[in-house]
Amino acid sequence: MSERSLTGLAAAIDERLPTPESFDSGLRGPRTAARVGVWLGLSFGVAFVTGVFSHVAQGRGADVPLPTGPAWLYLATQGVHVAAGTAAVPLLLVKLWSVYPRLFERPPRRGRALVLHLLERGSIALLVGAAFFQLVTGLANSAQWYPWSFDFISAHYALAWVAVGSVLLHVAVKLPVIRRALAEPVDDERGAQAGGGRPADREGATTPAGGLTRRALLRTTWLAAGVTVLATTAVGIPGLRRVAVLAVRSGEGPQGVPVNRSAAAAGVAEILTDPGWRLRVIGPAGTVDLTLDELTGMAGRTADLPIACVEGWSAGGTWGGVPVRDVVALVGGSEADDVVFRSLQERGAWRESRLPAEFARHPDSLLALTLSGEPLHPDHGYPCRLIAPARPGVTQTKWLREMEVVPA
Amino acid sequence: MSGSSGADRMLRPALGVVGAAGVAYGLYLLLGQPPDRTVDVVLWAAGSVLVHDAVIAPVVLVLGVLAATRAPAWLRVPLVRLLVVVGPLTLVAIPVLGRFGARTDNPTLLDRPYWAGYLGIVAIALVLTAADALRRRSRARTAP
Repeated sequence: MSERSLTGLAAAIDERLPTPESFDSGLRGPRTAARVGVWLGLSFGVAFVTGVFSHVAQGRGADVPLPTGPAWLYLATQGVHVAAGTAAVPLLLVKLWSVYPRLFERPPRRGRALVLHLLERGSIALLVGAAFFQLVTGLANSAQWYPWSFDFISAHYALAWVAVGSVLLHVAVKLPVIRRALAEPVDDERGAQAGGGRPADREGATTPAGGLTRRALLRTTWLAAGVTVLATTAVGIPGLRRVAVLAVRSGEGPQGVPVNRSAAAAGVAEILTDPGWRLRVIGPAGTVDLTLDELTGMAGRTADLPIACVEGWSAGGTWGGVPVRDVVALVGGSEADDVVFRSLQERGAWRESRLPAEFARHPDSLLALTLSGEPLHPDHGYPCRLIAPARPGVTQTKWLREMEVVPA
Repeated sequence: MSGSSGADRMLRPALGVVGAAGVAYGLYLLLGQPPDRTVDVVLWAAGSVLVHDAVIAPVVLVLGVLAATRAPAWLRVPLVRLLVVVGPLTLVAIPVLGRFGARTDNPTLLDRPYWAGYLGIVAIALVLTAADALRRRSRARTAP
């Protein structure tokens, strides 16, 4: 302290700010931070991997072939993505609580030490900023709440790399501390038998939670993560739907399936019933316009497929219609071709989607005309929509106008 | 320990390089956005850190001090556990409780009675907290 020589206002401010020593809870510090950090790091890792998978599945990432089954694959990865992000909320808050006093560390005054200190501070700021950004925007997106101007997907994807990269950087910097903390017992000997309100140790005597052991705090944190995940995302787990009282959707909807974007919101409600509607099919052998009656005549296949949305909800339906590959063959396409689908929508990021060849040749990939045996509800894409197994909901283009067979 | 620190001499730089590359790629993607959007992203990231460091953490700190100075010893642990469970849950519930994303054209979105569900969970948590506190109080009284 003596080498510091702040004067005037700076000294007055410095005197009033707390220092790391001002915080007296013995439960803070590396032994708590490392243990919560392991699970927090894991949840960010899981969310990152499933998120990149979703990005690729939406055709925005690297062009790598993805598995076409099981049909519930995307539903599972996206459910895990949202669950991992939701579990990270209590973990992140407890983790930051455990290291909060470090925020008030005074920087060294000069030279190399100052540079290193600022670098570490900077990397922590990046880590915490990116982590909060991911959790806040992810949760808001689940509830279709967009109180910002940026594009959610691009921003969430960019900061996913920042978040996961700075987690790795943080682990690299802290590895010796982490190892030491994990090697130490969770609680001190005498602390372990506290719980009846007896002071755990010297520091424990002044902790606001007098008597709370670190073990109990950690268990409560795991409980908080579990309760939060169950309350928000258990809607996808059979039998637990009613427990998910905070889920963004109950799973109900017209024809038993919820709607992400309605016909009114897409601006197509007026034109769906146009008797002049044709599906234009473009392929190497030419162009064909199919009427609804002609498509109905070709239909004969049904498939039980889920609609799985990025927000982590999903609902199964029995879809009836024409296999995509039959229509591809009609215009001279082959099983090696991709298919581009275009909607009647005039605006919207998802009015066009590209179905990779491995999905286009799958027998369950349908130009769907019915759901549960009835003509599609307008909000489900009447007169005709795409439905394919293991694909993100947003790529299952509704209100089709045109499909084009293109070389993969 | 010496074995692990030997391995760390390789592991730490490797993690550091991969991590820095990830951060750099993310920032590169971010800067590829239109400038005003990038600014908005930075504002949201910095703003959420500020809300935590300047609002949430101090509030928790004050609650801790209040619990330590005003609440009887047998009530402190149950109160901490209540806060750790209900606090984060409340933050997570904000988007659905406010129903900010609700749309009149799509009744399948945000279609649960969220306040009832949220208050139900809080009520269960309060009952469990009270039971835990009463148990601790009677134990503290019978102890010498």
